[in-house]
Amino acid sequence: MKTFLLAGMIGIWATGAMAHSPLDATTPANEATVTEMPSEVLMDFKGDIRLTRVSITHADTHSMDMDLGDQTAFTQEFALPMHDMGAGTYVVEWRGLGSDGHALNGTFSFNVE
Amino acid sequence: MPDAFGLAAIIAKFALYLGLMTAAGTVMATCMFRLDRTRGLAAAFAVVGLMATILAFSLRGANLTGNVSGMTDPEMLGLLWTTPVGTALLLRLVGLGLLIAGLFMGRLGMWISMLGGIIAIWSFDHIGHVSSRDTTLLEIALTLHLLAVALWIGVLTPLKRLASSPATYTSAADVGHRFGVVAMVTVPALIIAGGYMGYELAGSLEALVGTGYGQALIIKMLLVGLLLGLAAANKLRFIPALRAGDPAAAGHLSKSISVEWLVILAVLGTTAVLTTNLTLPT
Repeated sequence: MKTFLLAGMIGIWATGAMAHSPLDATTPANEATVTEMPSEVLMDFKGDIRLTRVSITHADTHSMDMDLGDQTAFTQEFALPMHDMGAGTYVVEWRGLGSDGHALNGTFSFNVE
Repeated sequence: MPDAFGLAAIIAKFALYLGLMTAAGTVMATCMFRLDRTRGLAAAFAVVGLMATILAFSLRGANLTGNVSGMTDPEMLGLLWTTPVGTALLLRLVGLGLLIAGLFMGRLGMWISMLGGIIAIWSFDHIGHVSSRDTTLLEIALTLHLLAVALWIGVLTPLKRLASSPATYTSAADVGHRFGVVAMVTVPALIIAGGYMGYELAGSLEALVGTGYGQALIIKMLLVGLLLGLAAANKLRFIPALRAGDPAAAGHLSKSISVEWLVILAVLGTTAVLTTNLTLPT
Protein backbone atom coordinates (compact mmCIF):
# COMPACT_ATOMS: atom_id res chain seq x y z
CA MET A 1 0.00 0.00 0.00
CA LYS A 2 2.78 2.38 0.94
CA THR A 3 4.46 1.64 -2.35
CA PHE A 4 1.35 2.58 -4.28
CA LEU A 5 0.99 5.78 -2.28
CA LEU A 6 4.62 6.58 -2.91
CA ALA A 7 4.28 5.84 -6.63
CA GLY A 8 1.21 8.07 -6.72
CA MET A 9 3.01 10.87 -4.94
CA ILE A 10 5.95 10.59 -7.30
CA GLY A 11 3.56 10.65 -10.23
CA ILE A 12 1.89 13.84 -9.07
CA TRP A 13 5.12 15.56 -8.15
CA ALA A 14 6.89 14.59 -11.32
CA THR A 15 4.32 16.09 -13.60
CA GLY A 16 5.63 19.63 -13.65
CA ALA A 17 7.89 19.18 -16.59
CA MET A 18 6.22 17.72 -19.65
CA ALA A 19 8.85 16.68 -22.05
CA HIS A 20 10.53 18.06 -25.08
CA SER A 21 9.77 21.32 -26.80
CA PRO A 22 12.18 21.47 -29.69
CA LEU A 23 10.45 24.25 -31.60
CA ASP A 24 13.07 26.80 -32.55
CA ALA A 25 10.90 29.57 -33.94
CA THR A 26 7.51 30.20 -35.46
CA THR A 27 6.14 32.84 -37.82
CA PRO A 28 4.18 34.61 -36.45
CA ALA A 29 6.24 34.36 -33.28
CA ASN A 30 4.69 33.01 -30.10
CA GLU A 31 2.41 35.63 -28.49
CA ALA A 32 3.04 38.09 -31.34
CA THR A 33 0.35 40.46 -32.56
CA VAL A 34 -0.06 40.85 -36.31
CA THR A 35 -2.26 43.28 -38.21
CA GLU A 36 -3.23 40.89 -40.98
CA MET A 37 -4.03 37.19 -40.97
CA PRO A 38 -0.99 35.34 -42.38
CA SER A 39 -1.67 32.99 -45.27
CA GLU A 40 0.50 30.36 -43.65
CA VAL A 41 2.15 29.56 -40.36
CA LEU A 42 5.81 28.63 -40.41
CA MET A 43 7.27 26.25 -37.85
CA ASP A 44 11.01 25.80 -37.56
CA PHE A 45 12.24 22.88 -35.46
CA LYS A 46 15.68 22.20 -34.01
CA GLY A 47 15.72 18.64 -35.32
CA ASP A 48 13.92 16.50 -37.86
CA ILE A 49 10.30 15.84 -36.97
CA ARG A 50 7.21 14.47 -38.64
CA LEU A 51 4.09 16.39 -37.65
CA THR A 52 1.23 14.07 -36.79
CA ARG A 53 -1.45 16.48 -35.66
CA VAL A 54 -1.92 20.23 -35.71
CA SER A 55 -5.07 21.85 -34.45
CA ILE A 56 -5.93 25.52 -34.45
CA THR A 57 -8.31 27.16 -32.04
CA HIS A 58 -9.60 30.62 -32.80
CA ALA A 59 -10.77 32.89 -29.99
CA ASP A 60 -11.43 29.89 -27.71
CA THR A 61 -14.34 28.83 -29.88
CA HIS A 62 -13.62 27.38 -33.31
CA SER A 63 -11.21 24.50 -33.31
CA MET A 64 -10.09 22.69 -36.42
CA ASP A 65 -7.54 20.04 -37.32
CA MET A 66 -5.21 20.88 -40.14
CA ASP A 67 -4.91 18.58 -43.10
CA LEU A 68 -1.41 17.12 -42.89
CA GLY A 69 -1.93 14.96 -45.96
CA ASP A 70 1.18 16.16 -47.82
CA GLN A 71 3.45 16.18 -44.78
CA THR A 72 4.90 12.70 -45.05
CA ALA A 73 8.59 13.23 -44.36
CA PHE A 74 10.82 13.97 -41.38
CA THR A 75 11.97 17.53 -41.80
CA GLN A 76 12.78 20.70 -39.87
CA GLU A 77 10.63 23.36 -41.49
CA PHE A 78 6.90 23.36 -42.04
CA ALA A 79 4.61 25.85 -43.73
CA LEU A 80 0.98 25.23 -42.90
CA PRO A 81 -1.75 27.09 -44.82
CA MET A 82 -4.12 29.08 -42.61
CA HIS A 83 -7.80 29.86 -42.93
CA ASP A 84 -8.82 33.34 -41.98
CA MET A 85 -11.26 33.08 -39.08
CA GLY A 86 -11.18 36.78 -38.29
CA ALA A 87 -9.50 38.86 -35.61
CA GLY A 88 -8.60 37.40 -32.23
CA THR A 89 -6.21 34.91 -30.71
CA TYR A 90 -5.15 31.81 -32.61
CA VAL A 91 -3.77 28.93 -30.58
CA VAL A 92 -1.80 26.29 -32.49
CA GLU A 93 -1.40 22.93 -30.81
CA TRP A 94 0.95 20.52 -32.50
CA ARG A 95 2.06 16.94 -32.02
CA GLY A 96 4.81 15.12 -33.82
CA LEU A 97 7.40 12.38 -33.81
CA GLY A 98 11.13 13.07 -33.67
CA SER A 99 13.29 10.91 -35.92
CA ASP A 100 14.75 9.33 -32.75
CA GLY A 101 11.26 8.04 -31.86
CA HIS A 102 10.47 10.66 -29.20
CA ALA A 103 6.93 11.98 -29.19
CA LEU A 104 6.94 15.76 -29.17
CA ASN A 105 4.23 18.31 -28.61
CA GLY A 106 3.71 21.95 -27.89
CA THR A 107 1.53 24.99 -28.21
CA PHE A 108 2.02 28.54 -29.43
CA SER A 109 -0.34 31.41 -30.09
CA PHE A 110 -0.58 34.69 -31.93
CA ASN A 111 -3.05 37.48 -32.08
CA VAL A 112 -4.66 39.01 -35.19
CA GLU A 113 -5.89 42.59 -34.76
CA MET B 1 0.03 17.33 -14.84
CA PRO B 2 0.47 14.75 -17.55
CA ASP B 3 -2.74 13.92 -19.37
CA ALA B 4 -4.43 10.53 -19.09
CA PHE B 5 -2.15 9.18 -21.81
CA GLY B 6 0.90 10.41 -19.95
CA LEU B 7 -0.20 8.56 -16.82
CA ALA B 8 -1.09 5.45 -18.82
CA ALA B 9 2.36 5.59 -20.43
CA ILE B 10 4.03 5.66 -16.99
CA ILE B 11 1.95 2.70 -15.78
CA ALA B 12 2.68 0.72 -18.97
CA LYS B 13 6.39 1.48 -18.60
CA PHE B 14 6.31 0.31 -14.97
CA ALA B 15 4.62 -2.97 -16.00
CA LEU B 16 7.17 -3.34 -18.81
CA TYR B 17 10.11 -2.95 -16.41
CA LEU B 18 8.56 -5.27 -13.85
CA GLY B 19 7.60 -7.98 -16.36
CA LEU B 20 10.68 -7.89 -18.57
CA MET B 21 13.27 -7.54 -15.81
CA THR B 22 11.70 -10.17 -13.53
CA ALA B 23 11.28 -12.67 -16.38
CA ALA B 24 14.85 -12.15 -17.63
CA GLY B 25 16.23 -12.18 -14.09
CA THR B 26 14.37 -15.36 -13.16
CA VAL B 27 15.87 -17.31 -16.07
CA MET B 28 19.32 -15.82 -15.40
CA ALA B 29 19.12 -16.85 -11.74
CA THR B 30 17.78 -20.29 -12.75
CA CYS B 31 20.76 -20.94 -15.03
CA MET B 32 23.28 -19.51 -12.61
CA PHE B 33 22.09 -21.15 -9.40
CA ARG B 34 20.41 -24.27 -10.89
CA LEU B 35 17.03 -23.40 -9.45
CA ASP B 36 13.96 -25.62 -9.85
CA ARG B 37 10.31 -24.78 -10.41
CA THR B 38 10.87 -21.29 -11.78
CA ARG B 39 9.24 -21.78 -15.19
CA GLY B 40 5.76 -20.62 -14.17
CA LEU B 41 7.19 -17.52 -12.53
CA ALA B 42 9.30 -16.60 -15.56
CA ALA B 43 6.42 -17.28 -17.97
CA ALA B 44 3.94 -15.17 -15.98
CA PHE B 45 6.25 -12.16 -15.83
CA ALA B 46 7.24 -12.57 -19.49
CA VAL B 47 3.55 -12.39 -20.44
CA VAL B 48 3.18 -9.22 -18.34
CA GLY B 49 6.24 -7.85 -20.14
CA LEU B 50 4.82 -8.74 -23.56
CA MET B 51 1.45 -7.15 -22.87
CA ALA B 52 3.07 -4.02 -21.45
CA THR B 53 5.41 -3.84 -24.48
CA ILE B 54 2.45 -3.80 -26.85
CA LEU B 55 0.44 -1.39 -24.69
CA ALA B 56 3.38 1.02 -24.34
CA PHE B 57 3.93 0.99 -28.13
CA SER B 58 0.25 1.55 -28.77
CA LEU B 59 0.13 4.44 -26.26
CA ARG B 60 2.93 6.11 -28.17
CA GLY B 61 0.54 6.11 -31.13
CA ALA B 62 -2.05 7.88 -28.98
CA ASN B 63 0.59 10.41 -28.01
CA LEU B 64 1.04 11.28 -31.67
CA THR B 65 -2.61 11.97 -32.36
CA GLY B 66 -3.63 13.17 -28.91
CA ASN B 67 -6.56 10.75 -28.72
CA VAL B 68 -7.44 7.07 -28.31
CA SER B 69 -7.72 6.44 -32.05
CA GLY B 70 -3.94 6.78 -32.32
CA MET B 71 -3.52 3.55 -30.34
CA THR B 72 -4.66 1.54 -33.35
CA ASP B 73 -4.00 4.01 -36.16
CA PRO B 74 -1.97 2.05 -38.75
CA GLU B 75 -0.32 5.22 -40.07
CA MET B 76 0.88 6.31 -36.61
CA LEU B 77 2.01 2.83 -35.56
CA GLY B 78 3.68 2.33 -38.95
CA LEU B 79 5.48 5.63 -38.50
CA LEU B 80 6.70 4.59 -35.04
CA TRP B 81 7.86 1.27 -36.45
CA THR B 82 10.34 3.09 -38.73
CA THR B 83 12.04 4.77 -35.74
CA PRO B 84 14.20 3.25 -32.97
CA VAL B 85 10.92 2.71 -31.06
CA GLY B 86 10.10 0.03 -33.64
CA THR B 87 13.52 -1.59 -33.20
CA ALA B 88 13.01 -1.75 -29.44
CA LEU B 89 9.52 -3.23 -29.93
CA LEU B 90 10.93 -5.91 -32.24
CA LEU B 91 13.75 -6.82 -29.82
CA ARG B 92 11.30 -7.07 -26.92
CA LEU B 93 8.83 -9.22 -28.84
CA VAL B 94 11.57 -11.53 -30.13
CA GLY B 95 13.40 -11.60 -26.79
CA LEU B 96 10.36 -12.30 -24.62
CA GLY B 97 9.02 -14.73 -27.27
CA LEU B 98 12.30 -16.70 -27.16
CA LEU B 99 12.25 -16.56 -23.36
CA ILE B 100 8.78 -18.10 -23.21
CA ALA B 101 9.55 -20.68 -25.95
CA GLY B 102 12.70 -21.78 -24.10
CA LEU B 103 10.68 -22.51 -20.97
CA PHE B 104 9.00 -25.39 -22.80
CA MET B 105 12.26 -26.95 -24.03
CA GLY B 106 13.67 -28.64 -20.95
CA ARG B 107 16.97 -27.86 -19.25
CA LEU B 108 18.72 -26.65 -22.40
CA GLY B 109 15.75 -24.40 -23.13
CA MET B 110 16.65 -22.30 -20.09
CA TRP B 111 19.72 -21.08 -21.96
CA ILE B 112 17.51 -20.11 -24.92
CA SER B 113 15.28 -18.31 -22.42
CA MET B 114 18.30 -16.52 -21.01
CA LEU B 115 19.39 -15.44 -24.49
CA GLY B 116 15.85 -14.12 -25.02
CA GLY B 117 16.02 -12.23 -21.74
CA ILE B 118 19.31 -10.62 -22.71
CA ILE B 119 17.92 -9.60 -26.13
CA ALA B 120 14.89 -8.05 -24.40
CA ILE B 121 17.16 -6.17 -21.97
CA TRP B 122 19.35 -5.03 -24.85
CA SER B 123 16.28 -3.29 -26.33
CA PHE B 124 16.69 -0.52 -23.76
CA ASP B 125 19.92 0.54 -25.47
CA HIS B 126 17.98 1.55 -28.57
CA ILE B 127 15.62 4.17 -27.24
CA GLY B 128 15.49 6.79 -24.57
CA HIS B 129 17.91 9.16 -22.94
CA VAL B 130 20.91 6.87 -23.19
CA SER B 131 20.60 6.06 -26.90
CA SER B 132 20.13 9.71 -27.78
CA ARG B 133 23.61 10.45 -26.37
CA ASP B 134 25.12 8.02 -28.83
CA THR B 135 28.05 6.96 -26.69
CA THR B 136 29.04 3.31 -26.53
CA LEU B 137 30.25 3.56 -22.95
CA LEU B 138 26.81 4.72 -21.77
CA GLU B 139 25.17 1.85 -23.65
CA ILE B 140 27.54 -0.68 -22.07
CA ALA B 141 26.87 0.87 -18.65
CA LEU B 142 23.10 0.62 -19.18
CA THR B 143 23.31 -3.03 -20.28
CA LEU B 144 25.51 -4.01 -17.31
CA HIS B 145 23.25 -2.06 -14.96
CA LEU B 146 20.13 -3.80 -16.24
CA LEU B 147 21.66 -7.30 -16.25
CA ALA B 148 22.77 -6.85 -12.63
CA VAL B 149 19.37 -5.45 -11.63
CA ALA B 150 17.57 -8.33 -13.39
CA LEU B 151 19.67 -10.98 -11.62
CA TRP B 152 18.99 -9.34 -8.25
CA ILE B 153 15.24 -9.20 -8.89
CA GLY B 154 15.22 -12.70 -10.37
CA VAL B 155 16.76 -14.41 -7.38
CA LEU B 156 14.36 -12.92 -4.82
CA THR B 157 11.18 -14.93 -5.33
CA PRO B 158 12.85 -18.36 -5.76
CA LEU B 159 14.96 -17.63 -2.65
CA LYS B 160 11.93 -16.59 -0.65
CA ARG B 161 10.16 -19.78 -1.73
CA LEU B 162 13.11 -21.93 -0.61
CA ALA B 163 13.19 -20.09 2.73
CA SER B 164 9.51 -20.73 3.35
CA SER B 165 9.73 -24.51 3.85
CA PRO B 166 11.97 -26.31 6.39
CA ALA B 167 12.69 -29.00 3.79
CA THR B 168 14.51 -26.48 1.60
CA TYR B 169 16.25 -24.35 4.25
CA THR B 170 19.60 -25.84 3.22
CA SER B 171 19.02 -24.97 -0.43
CA ALA B 172 17.92 -21.47 0.58
CA ALA B 173 21.11 -20.97 2.56
CA ASP B 174 23.16 -22.34 -0.33
CA VAL B 175 21.51 -20.21 -3.04
CA GLY B 176 21.59 -17.16 -0.78
CA HIS B 177 25.26 -17.69 -0.11
CA ARG B 178 26.14 -18.17 -3.77
CA PHE B 179 24.13 -15.10 -4.81
CA GLY B 180 25.94 -13.18 -2.07
CA VAL B 181 29.26 -14.13 -3.66
CA VAL B 182 28.09 -13.14 -7.17
CA ALA B 183 26.59 -9.93 -5.79
CA MET B 184 30.02 -8.87 -4.52
CA VAL B 185 30.76 -8.22 -8.20
CA THR B 186 27.36 -7.44 -9.73
CA VAL B 187 26.08 -5.00 -7.10
CA PRO B 188 29.14 -2.70 -7.19
CA ALA B 189 28.97 -2.92 -11.02
CA LEU B 190 25.28 -1.96 -10.87
CA ILE B 191 26.02 1.04 -8.66
CA ILE B 192 29.06 2.21 -10.61
CA ALA B 193 27.17 1.91 -13.93
CA GLY B 194 24.12 3.67 -12.44
CA GLY B 195 26.26 6.42 -10.93
CA TYR B 196 28.09 6.95 -14.21
CA MET B 197 24.83 7.18 -16.17
CA GLY B 198 23.34 9.56 -13.61
CA TYR B 199 26.46 11.73 -13.78
CA GLU B 200 26.41 11.77 -17.58
CA LEU B 201 22.67 12.40 -17.89
CA ALA B 202 22.14 14.89 -15.08
CA GLY B 203 25.41 16.66 -15.81
CA SER B 204 25.86 18.76 -12.67
CA LEU B 205 25.07 18.93 -8.98
CA GLU B 206 22.75 21.90 -9.60
CA ALA B 207 20.80 19.89 -12.15
CA LEU B 208 20.63 16.98 -9.73
CA VAL B 209 19.12 19.10 -6.97
CA GLY B 210 17.27 21.67 -9.04
CA THR B 211 15.42 19.71 -11.72
CA GLY B 212 12.60 17.19 -11.56
CA TYR B 213 14.81 14.66 -13.31
CA GLY B 214 17.60 15.11 -10.78
CA GLN B 215 15.20 14.91 -7.84
CA ALA B 216 13.69 11.68 -9.15
CA LEU B 217 17.24 10.36 -9.47
CA ILE B 218 17.90 11.29 -5.83
CA ILE B 219 14.75 9.42 -4.74
CA LYS B 220 15.92 6.42 -6.74
CA MET B 221 19.34 6.55 -5.07
CA LEU B 222 17.80 6.76 -1.59
CA LEU B 223 15.60 3.74 -2.36
CA VAL B 224 18.61 1.82 -3.66
CA GLY B 225 20.45 2.74 -0.45
CA LEU B 226 17.57 1.17 1.48
CA LEU B 227 17.84 -1.95 -0.70
CA LEU B 228 21.56 -2.20 -0.02
CA GLY B 229 20.84 -2.10 3.72
CA LEU B 230 18.35 -4.96 3.40
CA ALA B 231 20.72 -6.91 1.16
CA ALA B 232 23.56 -6.42 3.64
CA ALA B 233 21.35 -7.75 6.47
CA ASN B 234 20.56 -10.82 4.35
CA LYS B 235 24.14 -11.46 3.38
CA LEU B 236 25.82 -10.75 6.70
CA ARG B 237 23.21 -11.99 9.18
CA PHE B 238 20.30 -14.07 7.92
CA ILE B 239 22.08 -16.23 5.30
CA PRO B 240 25.02 -17.11 7.63
CA ALA B 241 22.53 -17.89 10.43
CA LEU B 242 20.50 -20.09 8.10
CA ARG B 243 23.65 -21.89 6.98
CA ALA B 244 24.46 -22.48 10.64
CA GLY B 245 21.05 -24.15 11.00
CA ASP B 246 19.05 -21.43 12.76
CA PRO B 247 15.44 -21.92 11.54
CA ALA B 248 14.36 -18.47 12.76
CA ALA B 249 16.71 -16.94 10.18
CA ALA B 250 14.52 -18.33 7.39
CA GLY B 251 11.59 -16.25 8.59
CA HIS B 252 13.74 -13.13 8.84
CA LEU B 253 15.13 -13.74 5.36
CA SER B 254 11.65 -14.24 3.93
CA LYS B 255 10.36 -11.01 5.50
CA SER B 256 13.41 -9.10 4.41
CA ILE B 257 12.87 -10.27 0.81
CA SER B 258 9.24 -9.11 0.92
CA VAL B 259 10.38 -5.64 1.98
CA GLU B 260 13.07 -5.73 -0.71
CA TRP B 261 10.35 -6.43 -3.28
CA LEU B 262 8.33 -3.41 -2.13
CA VAL B 263 11.36 -1.15 -2.40
CA ILE B 264 12.16 -2.58 -5.85
CA LEU B 265 8.60 -1.78 -7.00
CA ALA B 266 9.14 1.80 -5.82
CA VAL B 267 12.49 1.95 -7.65
CA LEU B 268 10.90 0.68 -10.88
CA GLY B 269 8.05 3.19 -10.46
CA THR B 270 10.49 6.07 -10.01
CA THR B 271 12.44 4.88 -13.05
CA ALA B 272 9.27 4.78 -15.15
CA VAL B 273 8.59 8.42 -14.23
CA LEU B 274 12.20 9.32 -14.97
CA THR B 275 12.24 7.77 -18.41
CA THR B 276 8.71 8.66 -19.47
CA ASN B 277 7.80 12.02 -18.14
CA LEU B 278 10.86 14.01 -17.18
CA THR B 279 13.19 15.87 -19.48
CA LEU B 280 16.89 15.68 -19.00
CA PRO B 281 18.48 18.80 -17.57
CA THR B 282 20.12 20.75 -20.37
